[in-house]
Amino acid sequence: MTQHVVECQGVSRTYQDDAVPVHALRGVDFAVGTGEFVSLAGPSGSGKSTLLHVIGGLDRPNEGAISVDGEDINALGDSELADLRLNKIGFVFQAYNLIPVLSAQENVEFIMQLQGVDAAERGERALGTLDSLGMRDLADRRPGEMSGGQQQRVAIARAIVTNPVLLLADEPSANLDTGTTGELLELLKRLNKERGVTIVTATHDPMVMGYASRQVHLRDGEIVSE
Amino acid sequence: MPLKLLLQLSWRNLWRHRRRNGIMVLAIALAVTGVMLMNTLMRGMAAEMREAAIDNLTGHIKVIHPGYMADPGIGRGFEPEQGWEQALADVPVAGWAQRVRVPAVIMSERETRGVQLVGVDPAREAISFLGSLSVDGEALSGAEDRRIIIGATLAEQLETSVGRRLVIMTQGADGLNREAGYRIAGTYDADSNALEKVFVFTGAQTVARLLESPAVTEVSLRLESGDDIPLALAELGAVFEDLDVKAWQDLEPQVASMVLVADFGLYIMYFVIMGALVFGLVNALVTAVMERVRELGMLRALGMRPRSVVAQVVVESTLVMTAGVVAGLALAVVCYLPFSGGIDLSAFSETMQMMGVRNIFTPRLEVADMVIVFVLSLVLGVLASLYPARRAVKVTPLDAMRR
Ligand SMILES: Nc1ncnc2c1ncn2[C@@H]1O[C@H](COP(=O)(O)OP(=O)(O)OP(=O)(O)O)[C@@H](O)[C@H]1O
Ligand SMILES: [Mg+2]
Repeated sequence: MTQHVVECQGVSRTYQDDAVPVHALRGVDFAVGTGEFVSLAGPSGSGKSTLLHVIGGLDRPNEGAISVDGEDINALGDSELADLRLNKIGFVFQAYNLIPVLSAQENVEFIMQLQGVDAAERGERALGTLDSLGMRDLADRRPGEMSGGQQQRVAIARAIVTNPVLLLADEPSANLDTGTTGELLELLKRLNKERGVTIVTATHDPMVMGYASRQVHLRDGEIVSE
Repeated sequence: MPLKLLLQLSWRNLWRHRRRNGIMVLAIALAVTGVMLMNTLMRGMAAEMREAAIDNLTGHIKVIHPGYMADPGIGRGFEPEQGWEQALADVPVAGWAQRVRVPAVIMSERETRGVQLVGVDPAREAISFLGSLSVDGEALSGAEDRRIIIGATLAEQLETSVGRRLVIMTQGADGLNREAGYRIAGTYDADSNALEKVFVFTGAQTVARLLESPAVTEVSLRLESGDDIPLALAELGAVFEDLDVKAWQDLEPQVASMVLVADFGLYIMYFVIMGALVFGLVNALVTAVMERVRELGMLRALGMRPRSVVAQVVVESTLVMTAGVVAGLALAVVCYLPFSGGIDLSAFSETMQMMGVRNIFTPRLEVADMVIVFVLSLVLGVLASLYPARRAVKVTPLDAMRR
C-alpha cells in the first residue's frame, strides 16, 4: 500500500492522573491504507481506545505526528478538528451513540444535516442505507424503542451514510450477543469489500478480530505485533 | 448548524422534560402577569396624578410673572397682548385661559378662612377641573358674573350655603386692602377636599373691578398632546419674554417625580421579580445540561461545533422564556380587560377623596410596557442560558462521553 488514510509517527499520549503519569500510548508508529479493515487488539488499558481517539481527532497526542487523509491533525484548531470529524470520519462508539429525541432516520440524517445536504437527498440516502442494513422498517423509531443491536446498526448507518474516508469503531460489539455481533461483522465486512470503506476497530472480541483483514496488537501503549 | 435542526432538537428536548419546563413556563408567566398588573395600577395612578395636577388650574403650561411663586398677588400681574396665541400656530392647543388669582380672606358671619380668589372666564375653563365640576346651585354665567362659587367643604367650614353672602378681603395693586361682599351662586364638589377648601371662583372682571386692575396673574394652556410641551415652551418663551413660561412638571415637581418613578417602577418590579426567577431558570438549565452532558459530548464528537451546542442550550432557554412571557402577557391582558374601563371606588370614596383620588380609578396597560417586558425577557433568557451552555462545552467530548 502506498496510499495511507492514517499515518501515525511516534505518537505518545500521557495522562496526568493524580500526579502519576499514565502512558496510554508510547511512541506508536502506525499506518492504515485505503480499503483496509484493521482490528486493534490488546488487553484492557493497552491504549486501543486512546489510539482511535487521537486518530479520530477527539484527543490530541502529547508527541508525534498524525495525518488523516493527508491532513496534519496537530495543525488544526478545535473547530477545524470538529469539521474533520464531521466530514471525513465516521464514528461508532461503544454506547450512547444516538440522539434520544430523534428517530432512527433522523439520527442517520443528522450528520448530513450538519453538512448541509438538502432534505430530499438526505431522506433518500438515509432510507437507502437503513434498508441495506435491514433497518428500514424501524426508520421512525426512537433509540429508546430499539434493541442494542438495532441501535448499533443505526449508528453504523449514520457513520457510513456520508461516505467517510475512515470508519472508527470502538468495541462495536460490546453490548451485543453473539448472533447480533455476527450480523454486525458481516455488515462491516460487506461495507469494507463492496464500498471500500476503510475501517479501524478496537476490540477484545476474538470474533471481531477474525473478520478483520489485519490485526494490530497493543500492550502498555506500544504496538507489539501485527 | 442549520437553524431548522437547531430548533427541532431544542423543541424536542424541551418536550422530553415537559413537566419541569412546564413549571418553569408557568412560573415565568405568573411573574410576568404580576409585574404587568402591578404596572397597570402604577401607570393608572401616575396618569391620574398627572391629570389631576394638570386639571388643577395648572394646565400643560402656565405663563406667570417671575416673582409670582414667591409673592403671589396682583402686584405680580401682567397684561398679555391681544392675539398672543397666534404664536402657537403649529402646536395643536386644546384650550387656554387667562385668570387672575390672588390670596384672599373669606368671611361668613361665623368663620374666616384664607383662600385663593380666582377670577375666570367660565367659557374658557373646559381645560381645567372647573369645566367638569358638579355644582350645587348655579355655575358662573360668564366673566361678568358678580357671584361666587365655593367648595362644598369650605361652605361647611364657613357654615354658610347657596344664596347667602360672604365678604372677601384682599390686597389691591397699590398694596391697600380691598373688600367686597358676594352672593354664593353655588357650591362645588371636587375630587379632592383640598381643592374645595382653597379655590373660590368668580368672574374675571369682578376681580378686576375689586382690585382696580386689568392685569391677569396667569395664562394656562392645555395642549392636545403632552409631547408638544417642549415645542410650545419654546414658542411661548419668545412671546412672553419677560415672564416665566413653565411646564406642569416645574409647577408640580412632586407629581412629576411620582410619574417618573412610575416609569422606572416597571423596571424595578421586573428586575426584582424576574431576577429571582432567573436563578431558578439557570438552575433548571444547569440540571438539564448536566443530565445531557454525555449526549452533548457525543454530538460534538460527531463533529458538531461547540458554538452550535451553546446555541442549542440558548435556544432552549429562549423558547421557555418566550412561552412564559407570551402566556404571562396574554394572562395580564385577560385580567386587565374587565377593568380597562375603570374600577369604581365610590364605596371607599371618603378615604379616596382625602387622598385626592377620583371615584373611578382607571388602570392602564400600555403596549409599550408589554414590548419592554417581552424584549427584556428575551435578553434575560439568553443571558441565563450562557452559563449553563458554557458548562456543557467546557468538558471535552471524550470526558463528557465517559461520564
Ligand atoms: N481520561 C483519562 N485520564 C486518565 N487516564 C486515562 C484516561 N483515558 C485513558 N486513560 C488511561 O490510559 C490507558 C489506556 O486507556 P485506553 O482506554 O486507551 O485502553 P483500552 O485499550 O481502550 O482499554 P479497554 O480495552 O479497557 O477499553 C489506561 O491505563 C487508562 O487508565
Ligand atoms: Mg477502550
